[in-house]
Amino acid sequence: MAQGGNNRSRLLLVILLVTSLFLITLDLRGVSLTQSSRSATQSFLAPIQRVASSAFSPISHFFSDVKNFGKTKAQLKDVQAANSKLRAQIILNKNAEGQLLQLKSALNLAGRGGYKVVAARVIGRGSVSTFTQTITIDAGSSDGITKDMTVISGAGLVGVVKSVTSNSAIVLLMSDPSFRVGVRIARTQSAGVLLGQGDSSYTMQLLDPAGTIKVGDVLVSLGSENNRPFVPGIPVGRVTSVDHTSASLTQQATVIGLTNLSNLEIVSVIIKPATADPRDGLVPTPIPTVTVFVTPAPVVFPSGSPSGLPSPTPSPSQVKK
Amino acid sequence: MRPARIASSAAFLFFVFVVQEAAVARINFPIAGYSLYIAVLMGLLAMEDRSAAVMIGFIGGVILDLSPSIDAPFGQWAFVMTVMGYIFAANRESIGDFSTRPAALVLFVSLGATVSLLIFLSLGALLGESDGNFQRILTTSLGNGLWTLLFSPVILPMLSKFRRISLTSRERK
Repeated sequence: MAQGGNNRSRLLLVILLVTSLFLITLDLRGVSLTQSSRSATQSFLAPIQRVASSAFSPISHFFSDVKNFGKTKAQLKDVQAANSKLRAQIILNKNAEGQLLQLKSALNLAGRGGYKVVAARVIGRGSVSTFTQTITIDAGSSDGITKDMTVISGAGLVGVVKSVTSNSAIVLLMSDPSFRVGVRIARTQSAGVLLGQGDSSYTMQLLDPAGTIKVGDVLVSLGSENNRPFVPGIPVGRVTSVDHTSASLTQQATVIGLTNLSNLEIVSVIIKPATADPRDGLVPTPIPTVTVFVTPAPVVFPSGSPSGLPSPTPSPSQVKK
Repeated sequence: MRPARIASSAAFLFFVFVVQEAAVARINFPIAGYSLYIAVLMGLLAMEDRSAAVMIGFIGGVILDLSPSIDAPFGQWAFVMTVMGYIFAANRESIGDFSTRPAALVLFVSLGATVSLLIFLSLGALLGESDGNFQRILTTSLGNGLWTLLFSPVILPMLSKFRRISLTSRERK
């Protein structure tokens, strides 16, 4: 009896495994049934994600907030006094203010580049089981978004539109290991390829064997044919270290992304690129360092000074700030 | 293995899948993300007999394949979860009843969550997918296993209650 049950379950196992392999084969051969089932799920999930996004927004960064709590504990006492005065102002839609800032920043970058964009809110993130780094946005084909459009934030490149439904779209983030984008060093115009690594750091492979990379170099997107999937001139990252291994044919560098992908709330999708390549016009300019020179003012001592000479160290009240 | 119980388990798994995609995936867990769905599915597999575990594993995998953000071929998770269902059921027969050993169940479910991700990646590698460097894969798999270990003592008692409700009086005996 038990033997019969075991045989039946083994037969069921074989049937289901063959069915799974059949589904995999269908998908790899590009049968639209499997693609449309995912699109249907996305259409179903998008309204739920939109509602959940509003509800879960305060707790989505809970763990990172807890992690940073220890660092800020020392400063907490000093800040508390000033904070009580500002609490009334801050409590009013703090989340919306943050989103507005991201939106203004993204529109500012798009405006400088001359791109026509559609702003969208991030309503979902790819689950751990998918092993892909994606976000879901609340704008879709009804807003003019199609597959392979460039997605930016206020700081620079975010990713590329992977799939679209009428009211939502999935964006493959540039941190995904399968992500590749052609880049150009703003300083030297040397071209290379930037590869996603799964976190906030990236690897850049220089295509030109004679080209040079320096720490601090800013990379901008090279652009694709017909501006799909990438429009040219979008700031991508900054070089943090250069690999000088003589064994490799071309130079490699470690790059840090300009956009913080972990706390994205608002992004912009470029639906129409600029008529002319902005070249390096969008490269972030470093803020000039303010140097303060302190010149000790001559001090005139009253008659009580033993030598009659001014003191070499000025008193704090005399230091010009 | 009644069709009604399979259907109720599938409906329950789809509900958990929606919760996972809409809410749990939004939370930035430290180390790596947490999949409530995989934890629940592993919990269900651990409580079923061999045929039901294989069937629920397959259905659970198909639901996971519906995830719009997934980049793997449709059917890959179905394959992995069918295998997991069989492994779970076969091992459960040798381990015995989990109802008297909750700690063993929590460990079994956490280990299963980690192993299922590793099998998924191995199958993906055979199909020519790129899922990032080894360190990231290890961090994601172990991080998910760790979170499953932490949250399972809360989730599994609820799951056990759900299963008791879905059983007929004859099956309870």
